[in-house]
Amino acid sequence: PGPARQAAGRGLAARMGLETEPLFQAWSCFRRRKFRQCSELCSQLLEGAPSEQELDTGYTKFQAAWSLKTRALTEMVYVDEIEMDQEGIAEMMLDENAIAQVARPGTSLKLPGTSQGGGPSPAVRPVTQSGRPITGFVRPSTQSGRPSTVEQAIKTPRTALTARPITSASGGSVRLGTASMITNPDGPFINLSRLNLAKYAQKPELAKALFEYIFHHENDVKNALDLAALATEHAQFKDWWWKVQIGKCFYRLGLYREAEKQFKSALKQQDMVDTILYLAKVYLRLDQPVTALNVFKQGLERFPGEVTLLCGIARIYEEMNNISTAAEYYKDVLKQDNTHVEAIACIGSNRFYSDQPEIALRFYRRLLQMGVYNCQLFNNLGLCCFYAQQYDMTLTSFERALFLAENEEETADVWYNLGHVAVGIGDLNLAHQCFKLTLVNNNDYAEAYNNLAVLEVQKGHIEQARALLQTASYLAPHMYEPHFNFAILSEKAGDLQRSYTAARKSQEAFPGHVDTQQLIKKLEERFAML
Amino acid sequence: MSLFKARDWWSTVLGEKEEFDQGCLCVADVDNSGQDKIIVGSYVGYLRIFNPHPVKPGDAIQAEDLLLEVQLREPILQVEVGKFVSGTEGLHLAVLHCRKLCVYAVSETLGNVEHGNQYQIKPMYEHHLQRTACNMTYGPFGGVKGRDLICIQSMDGMLMVFEQESYAFGRFLPGFLLPGPLTYSSRTDSFITVSSCRQVESYKYQVLAFATDADERQETVQQKLSPGKRLVVDWVLNIGEQALDICVVSFNQAVSSVFVLGERSLFCLKDNGQIRFMKKLDYSPSCFIPYCSVKEGTINTLVGNHSNMLNVYQDITLKWATQLPHVPVSVKVAKFQDLKGVIVTLSDDGHLQCSYLGTDPSLFQAPKVDSKEINYEEFNAEMKELQKIIKEATKTQDILPQSEKHRDLIVTADVSPDLDEESQAIDSEVKAEVVPSVTVKVTIQSRVIAQKPNLAVCVQAPLAVSCDQFIFDDLEPGSSETVVLSVFLKGNCPPSELEGNCVVSCNTPTELNPEGIPKVAQCKFKLPLRLICFPAQPSKSANHKLTIDTNKSPVSFLTIFSDFADPSEDDQANVLGFQFLTGSKITLLASKTSQRYRIQSDQLEDLWLITKELTLRLEEHFKKQNCKDFACTFSGSIPLQEYFELIDRHFELRLKAEKFQELLSERAVQFRAIERRLLTRFKDKTPAPLQHLDTLLEGTFREIIALADAAEENQANMFQAFTRLKSATHLVIMLISLWQKLNADQVAIMEATFLPLAEDTQELGWEETVDSAISSLLRTCLSKSSKEQALTLSSQLSMPKDTSRLKKNISLFCDRLAKGGRLSLSTDAATQQAAVVPGGCATIPESDLEERAVVPGSTATFTNHRRAAKQKSKP
Repeated sequence: PGPARQAAGRGLAARMGLETEPLFQAWSCFRRRKFRQCSELCSQLLEGAPSEQELDTGYTKFQAAWSLKTRALTEMVYVDEIEMDQEGIAEMMLDENAIAQVARPGTSLKLPGTSQGGGPSPAVRPVTQSGRPITGFVRPSTQSGRPSTVEQAIKTPRTALTARPITSASGGSVRLGTASMITNPDGPFINLSRLNLAKYAQKPELAKALFEYIFHHENDVKNALDLAALATEHAQFKDWWWKVQIGKCFYRLGLYREAEKQFKSALKQQDMVDTILYLAKVYLRLDQPVTALNVFKQGLERFPGEVTLLCGIARIYEEMNNISTAAEYYKDVLKQDNTHVEAIACIGSNRFYSDQPEIALRFYRRLLQMGVYNCQLFNNLGLCCFYAQQYDMTLTSFERALFLAENEEETADVWYNLGHVAVGIGDLNLAHQCFKLTLVNNNDYAEAYNNLAVLEVQKGHIEQARALLQTASYLAPHMYEPHFNFAILSEKAGDLQRSYTAARKSQEAFPGHVDTQQLIKKLEERFAML
Repeated sequence: MSLFKARDWWSTVLGEKEEFDQGCLCVADVDNSGQDKIIVGSYVGYLRIFNPHPVKPGDAIQAEDLLLEVQLREPILQVEVGKFVSGTEGLHLAVLHCRKLCVYAVSETLGNVEHGNQYQIKPMYEHHLQRTACNMTYGPFGGVKGRDLICIQSMDGMLMVFEQESYAFGRFLPGFLLPGPLTYSSRTDSFITVSSCRQVESYKYQVLAFATDADERQETVQQKLSPGKRLVVDWVLNIGEQALDICVVSFNQAVSSVFVLGERSLFCLKDNGQIRFMKKLDYSPSCFIPYCSVKEGTINTLVGNHSNMLNVYQDITLKWATQLPHVPVSVKVAKFQDLKGVIVTLSDDGHLQCSYLGTDPSLFQAPKVDSKEINYEEFNAEMKELQKIIKEATKTQDILPQSEKHRDLIVTADVSPDLDEESQAIDSEVKAEVVPSVTVKVTIQSRVIAQKPNLAVCVQAPLAVSCDQFIFDDLEPGSSETVVLSVFLKGNCPPSELEGNCVVSCNTPTELNPEGIPKVAQCKFKLPLRLICFPAQPSKSANHKLTIDTNKSPVSFLTIFSDFADPSEDDQANVLGFQFLTGSKITLLASKTSQRYRIQSDQLEDLWLITKELTLRLEEHFKKQNCKDFACTFSGSIPLQEYFELIDRHFELRLKAEKFQELLSERAVQFRAIERRLLTRFKDKTPAPLQHLDTLLEGTFREIIALADAAEENQANMFQAFTRLKSATHLVIMLISLWQKLNADQVAIMEATFLPLAEDTQELGWEETVDSAISSLLRTCLSKSSKEQALTLSSQLSMPKDTSRLKKNISLFCDRLAKGGRLSLSTDAATQQAAVVPGGCATIPESDLEERAVVPGSTATFTNHRRAAKQKSKP
């Protein structure tokens, strides 16, 4: 059988396009996420647009184009507000919501070391500045550390990787907001100061898109809040969406209790996953992880198996140092969504730190097979291979990691791990060079200073080792190793006083460290003898 | 991201540069032959019908798979297949154009054996539309049996219902702005759409039919008549996001539900508009289709997304994820020949693919690292070479840079001998009539390519330069750059040094390192005395007097201070007066008989610059005369008492600064406390009186500002005091060295001891630094007994309570020197100096010269605590 071709002269036939229907074309582009094209088409439609007065009267094509353009511009810069989290020093310190100065164990994220779930000790798994174990997945809020006073917060060394903005108002959100200036060289699309918010608040079909534009694109929380307040009033407080938006604004403004009220009220009207996530986020910011967990669990009753909720629970448990429960929840996440990269990575790193590099290797390999192709992954693969005694793959993995490293911090990480491998195979010369290279790439690398010091001691360069250890402990006061090493070094040299001070610091960083305790005991006995 | 890839069963690319969207794909048995066909319409106006057959991999698609290709004159927005023609239950094809709805019959004509069958479309009827159409839905509206009606949504929100060949009615949707997806639910006989208010809205067909006719609305509004009812919505569900598509599902075993694909979530609703379940999607979906599931009570959904993935969900559990070669804008499930469940996807640019979910994993293949054939000999040679370099490098002071043997980069500074005719001084705080300035010419020469050379010129405050930073363009080999700048006295006190420093930094690229190795070159320049003082009347009396002895007959000031002395006045041969710009006067006297010079002034520190100048000029003078054994000596007592007064003055100011700091932090705490209270007051729902908290806040604020002002003033004073102290220290060092006839090395040690490079700050000040340096010297080279050597120091430098210990140590230091102590560092050979670790961290608060007895060869065998690696992974 052959086809019947009726279309003759295809090339010659005038191509019929959608040029005659620009609004439809724009609408279709929007659906296919061709936002730039959509926004251009809308701009063409809006050219010679009527003045704002005409926008008021009923439905016009201009109104539709205007709304579509706001939506397109918003989508271009849209970041899910739930994932946005950056706590500035000012927010952290001038926190008027704190309930108890000294929280009971297991009820606060501020206290490190309230491990109940038998998480690994810092001897096995590195910790962050605040004493929580390093997670397997870098999220905006994982590098948090909560110093206890303003003075301490300001004095804490701020390296390139741990620096946090003074206030979150000046942090990432501002940078995101400036997108508007890049996309529109002629000036902003909507002049917010000339907008009559009350008028728009009465048109819910326009107001919702406008709100998102003000909030996400212009990043003008105050105006957004004004609009939302007017709109929710117009909706007679019956629209949960507006309540969630008000809550979002309050959250950004740091009014957490008010945000909580809004989210709760919205949840009463309509159960929504997003609202639950926002509410839990508020509780986390208020440092009430247990309440946040309850919110999540209630949410799970309503939406069983929701991945974002499960993942939220797992993150909290991980932050509370309850690693085994966290791992359980991450497993639940994988049961629902077995392509969840965060869960795979976290379980992988848990396995690695609980001395099962072979299993960790499988998780990381899975990530690789799924198409994650970056420096960190090969770095982890290399380490797992090494500890799982698959030496043939170790160096190739690290080679690839170096090849893929995007910045000097990543290169430094790879060299640092290579240094470990070198120590493991006994090539101290190579190890020394690797740690040196680490420092060349990132001279804030406290761990490398520490290890270099240990190597120096073995060469007999005591003074150099001391200098390196002091640098390490200055850069990372939360690590116990430099303190402890310094204590031993001083003790060997007979400088008991210094040894004792350093040992106390080590104990502060890691109270359960047996060697430190023994050293302190020994020193105290000797002091008593004197 | 997934392990698997959709296995290509059949695929083709449609047209060139044609555009497609959601409505353009339809899978149905359009020619009533019992087989599913794929019908695709494009925005350019082509209508194509395919009947795919499996092909061997690698083969091109067979021509007979394309049953029909026809160009219609208008863009095709949507194609649907249903029972659209009255009088028959056969399936017909409805094509939606912007302004037209056409219904065609597709028929097959049996051809000759060789040419096969022919397919044709025959227009059955068409409707011209008054408004631009957007999308349509069809179904047995009103429960009619055996035929399908069509409902078209226009871009401006009108639902137009066509009862096959005839137009039934049109209704405007309330609160309309932009069209959303539209579907018809036969179970509830209602239309479901998502409005611009982000609500799922359901309208009963009955209600629509009886509502006011859209075309009459204009008139009814005018005539205030209401022949029909208002359009009332059946149910509304606020989902808070825009939707991409809606599907109504009623499979046999599953409950009927409405699936809504939002921009960020997937919703499953009950018939009455309640949420059955929802799933938050962590990607941007592009299209979806629910289909029946094998498991009872669940529904499977295929969701395509913009990251080229197709996910299969059973309710909300992800069952399968597979990669697609394109972003699907529309997805359907079809049955071809005997193959059930073929996934048909269409992309925006016309990739049509029929695929199945194969289990062979399509593993991600990491790109190969560029690997060369390994030549072991070469590698070994290179390795050896590199090892040698590393060894060389580590032999010397490790990370610290080596001094260069031949300099590629040279910087020279040339100070003009005369002061500027027109002073270049700006913003000078000196209260003199004219603040002179002197021109310095800095030249950079480079023998290699120098990228981004950057010149910094610095002079110690209170001196200042007219411009201290210069950035040049890249220098070619052998080229040079010259800049001119002026130096003048800015602060209102005499400087402690008349010297300046130029530093050039640049990158020199090499073959291996195109970014360049950073290189630094520097040079010092000496400024003329005339810059800060001018000749004045000598005065007889003064508080402080110094006498310098020499071993040569006195030289007339007219020769050595020719720039100050006036040759017409003879008496200036042995008496010369100086006055600093800041006001203080110094007189220089030369003895006519003995080989002595006397310097006198009211301030001890003012003596320094003149004394220095005198010795320098004398040395220069005798050098010119080829007189090698010239030497200056000092035999008087070192003016320690006066020196101590200066130390005390400086220390007093430091104490004051500390007090200010304490007060400031106290007030700041108070301020914050008040702020917090006020904030809670303001945030309180029931307004409470402020109880003068605002007054308190303002008062505290004023206090803080006043304190800060005072602290600033104190800081300025402290700076002046420190400059004076430095001048005096220089003088003391010089006197001691003249007195004890120290050589250059010893002077260098003394300078390192008394004039630390570190800035004078509140945390680490001059007093404690110098104190620890002196006590270190006292313990080592100046120690009297081994007992003293064993003394330990406190490791932390902190501000002392008073200066008595420092004074005692300084006196002791002079004492020991007088008794024949020798300054040297050679005894410390056993000690390694604590390595200076560069970069990233502040200096370790310990004295550089501190030394501790170390048992050589002590084998420290402590546990080697190593951190397990940093683990990080990003998505």
